[in-house]
Amino acid sequence: MSQSFLLEPDIIAATENVMPDLNNDLVLAKNFLKQQSAATGDNLYDHLVDLVHKILTHKPPDVVDNFEQYSWEVKQEKLRPNFDLLNDVYLSPPQLAIARKMDEMFKLVASKSQKMQEQGEEEQELDLEEESDKPRITDLIDHNYYFRQAGYGLPDSECYALYIALNMLAIKEPVATVRFFGKIFGTKANYYVAETDLTIEELDRRIREFDMKDMPGEGEGLDEERVQEQGEEHKDILGEGEEEAQAQKPKEPVPPKLPPIPLSTWQPKPTIPVERPGQGVNKKVYWVCNLPGDPWTCLPDATPEQIRVARLSLRAMTGDLDAEVQTFPLFEGTERHYLRAQIARIAAATSISPQGFYTFGSGEEEEDIDLEEAGDMNFNQNPFYQGHTIKDLVDPELAYWVHHGRHILKQGRTIWWNPRPEMQASCLLAVLFNCASRASVKIANREEGEEEEDENPPSIEAETGPSLFAPLSADVSTSGPTWTTRVGSVLGGRALAVIRSNLWPGAVAYATDGKRSECMYVGWGLKNEPPNFSPLQLPRPQEEYSVGPEVMEMADPTFADEEVYRIAHLPPAPPAEIPGEGGEEFSEEEEDED
Amino acid sequence: MNVHKLWDYKEHVNVNGVMLTSELISLLQTSLTLIQVENHFITMQYWGQIYAIDADYHIAVGINKDALNDRKYFYTTDFNFWGLLPKAKKKYKLLSLLATQPFRGDPSENIKVLDEALDENDPDRCKTMKEEARLAATISNICEEAEVCARGQLIKQPEGTVVINPNFYGLTATEAKMLKSYLHIRPAQHKWNTNLLTRPDYNYSMDFLDSIDQDIPKGCWNLILENVGSVAYLKSLYWPGMMYFHKIRTPDAGFLYVGHGRKNLDVPFLL
Repeated sequence: MSQSFLLEPDIIAATENVMPDLNNDLVLAKNFLKQQSAATGDNLYDHLVDLVHKILTHKPPDVVDNFEQYSWEVKQEKLRPNFDLLNDVYLSPPQLAIARKMDEMFKLVASKSQKMQEQGEEEQELDLEEESDKPRITDLIDHNYYFRQAGYGLPDSECYALYIALNMLAIKEPVATVRFFGKIFGTKANYYVAETDLTIEELDRRIREFDMKDMPGEGEGLDEERVQEQGEEHKDILGEGEEEAQAQKPKEPVPPKLPPIPLSTWQPKPTIPVERPGQGVNKKVYWVCNLPGDPWTCLPDATPEQIRVARLSLRAMTGDLDAEVQTFPLFEGTERHYLRAQIARIAAATSISPQGFYTFGSGEEEEDIDLEEAGDMNFNQNPFYQGHTIKDLVDPELAYWVHHGRHILKQGRTIWWNPRPEMQASCLLAVLFNCASRASVKIANREEGEEEEDENPPSIEAETGPSLFAPLSADVSTSGPTWTTRVGSVLGGRALAVIRSNLWPGAVAYATDGKRSECMYVGWGLKNEPPNFSPLQLPRPQEEYSVGPEVMEMADPTFADEEVYRIAHLPPAPPAEIPGEGGEEFSEEEEDED
Repeated sequence: MNVHKLWDYKEHVNVNGVMLTSELISLLQTSLTLIQVENHFITMQYWGQIYAIDADYHIAVGINKDALNDRKYFYTTDFNFWGLLPKAKKKYKLLSLLATQPFRGDPSENIKVLDEALDENDPDRCKTMKEEARLAATISNICEEAEVCARGQLIKQPEGTVVINPNFYGLTATEAKMLKSYLHIRPAQHKWNTNLLTRPDYNYSMDFLDSIDQDIPKGCWNLILENVGSVAYLKSLYWPGMMYFHKIRTPDAGFLYVGHGRKNLDVPFLL
């Protein structure tokens, strides 16, 4: 555009006219402005034209205040390279990958729901028995609505996609109930966690698998113990033999008696058996994904050891299930195990509901095993729950809120496991741990014959925790209250009780004065432990030698001492012992005399 | 977060599951607009909440001509009365880091803080501080360490005042993925040219603040792009509960803190 000014014949004519006049000044000024910069090839005239053009088209407010920035932006736009060749290449938006996944998920869910509808119509004609096969999915959108009334929850966009993702989980995997557990932040990606109950068939299959895996493990443990015992016996025999040999040949010059090679007295603690699928900490099965639409990954069952280590360590999730977990008490497993252990802890601590919301096994028929297990009773939503008033629910005494997550004992199990089953080989325990403890009882019986003379081991106090449905008021904490209650609304009207955990920041629950209640966790998966975390101290190193006269430091005998000794020992047989002398030296002397 | 944009921003709040309820936003907008008019603030921002046992504190910031130094903080527990927060004293800033007990919800309450680093007979070992002073100190600490803005959101004008850039168009997707594009809102603590020297496209009016990629240790900031890569979320591991969001290629951005007001000293273990 500016080029056209340059070629105007008037201007060319004007430059030839050298007389001072207005036209000439204008031309000179214009020529100056059009001087090309050596570095960029730009000229100010074009720049000003572009700038004015941009300002007039964009019409921003207060241009004069931000004139410099506009100038800068115009220059920046000019610098944008124009790749003619690449112009036709279509760059897909970054959202494409996620959109594809979502699309797949939506199609799957849509087709399934259509099928269900058709089936439903047929079934209505035939019979209604098949209804129970349908997995129960918690209505996340509904609950999220209430959470948002209370000031917590998920954004709408996320919530809907997640709801569909939960549906996909129910379609793809053998689950009976699906509930949204929460969201755990990671340093690179976040986890969405779904809490499910497996279908009965799948649960049976897993229990069978678990039993198969568990039995050989017990056998190995036994073998190891046997080997250890044999080894100890062997050593004992050897030790005696050595002593005899020394007694037999005292005349030969014997090298100075060395202290015995130290033996490690450390013994591994008995491994606490894992709770079988569908029991205790493994009652629920958890699935995670990084984004709604990703396939759900099933988390492995938590072991007591993992929970123990997770309690002693502190680590943020990375968002990668296979990431390494480096903690001081060695953590067996990758981040998926760690995540599972943390979820177990969070679920145990923050699953809360208003009193009476759940009730012990009423309604549906249960497995026989579950009914026998007094400590592991199933509970269901109470059909007769009438709700409490908001005033009761926000009472800081917290008597109206109860835990429905089982307390995890120090052992890392919800039901106490007796490490010494021979002490109280009660039938109750045998029933409780039908697979694991039966095997260990057998071991105990077998060992009893060998270790008859063994002194009675001190009986172990059974660890107990708060029972199921214990009120929150029983919770203990070193600093401040563990829970804080709030009313959802200050102005009144839409009242809602909301309770948040101070121990696990991010864990919240709400309850209306009607029949609704739900809890959720959105956070880093870290416990709040004031003042701060301190890693476990290293255990004290074991004493290398048993402390005795051989290894104790003492003053060397002076010449005078030796003289006294020599004189005292001259003609008669040497006396038995002199206090304060080193035993080693003494024996050496003896040998020398011999 | 700008008080007058809370309705737009409420979908982007993403901190430990906290959402702003409609009621809260309505209350904030009405009461804070009144505060803004009374004090002639150019911008009024909602800063966040500090959890307390009896009643949570809500904090707001009023910004006058200078967006960096001319800030006034207000707190309330009931939205009726907004109190002006005193200037944080250095003594209390240290003490508030040591205090482990939760906030009570009563600004006039005195709390005792035990400084375990000192000897048992030291008279300074146990100090008292008013909760209001603690609140001010905590907020000042958080602002200093965790309050951030996107590069270009604040600009320094030729006369030296710092203003909120009215022509901020947002970061590009590539810029938003870099920690270097986010700056601390505090008087710069590094040398004035540290930031200028580390970027090729330096700009005197933008790069006068410390960028957060120099914070120690590496990884103490958590930057995640969500909503299919259209919103960048920034969280500080030191101050769990802090959140900064920025919608890419738009001027929309906001800071929010919702938490206990306790610094997480365990960051090195987390990484």
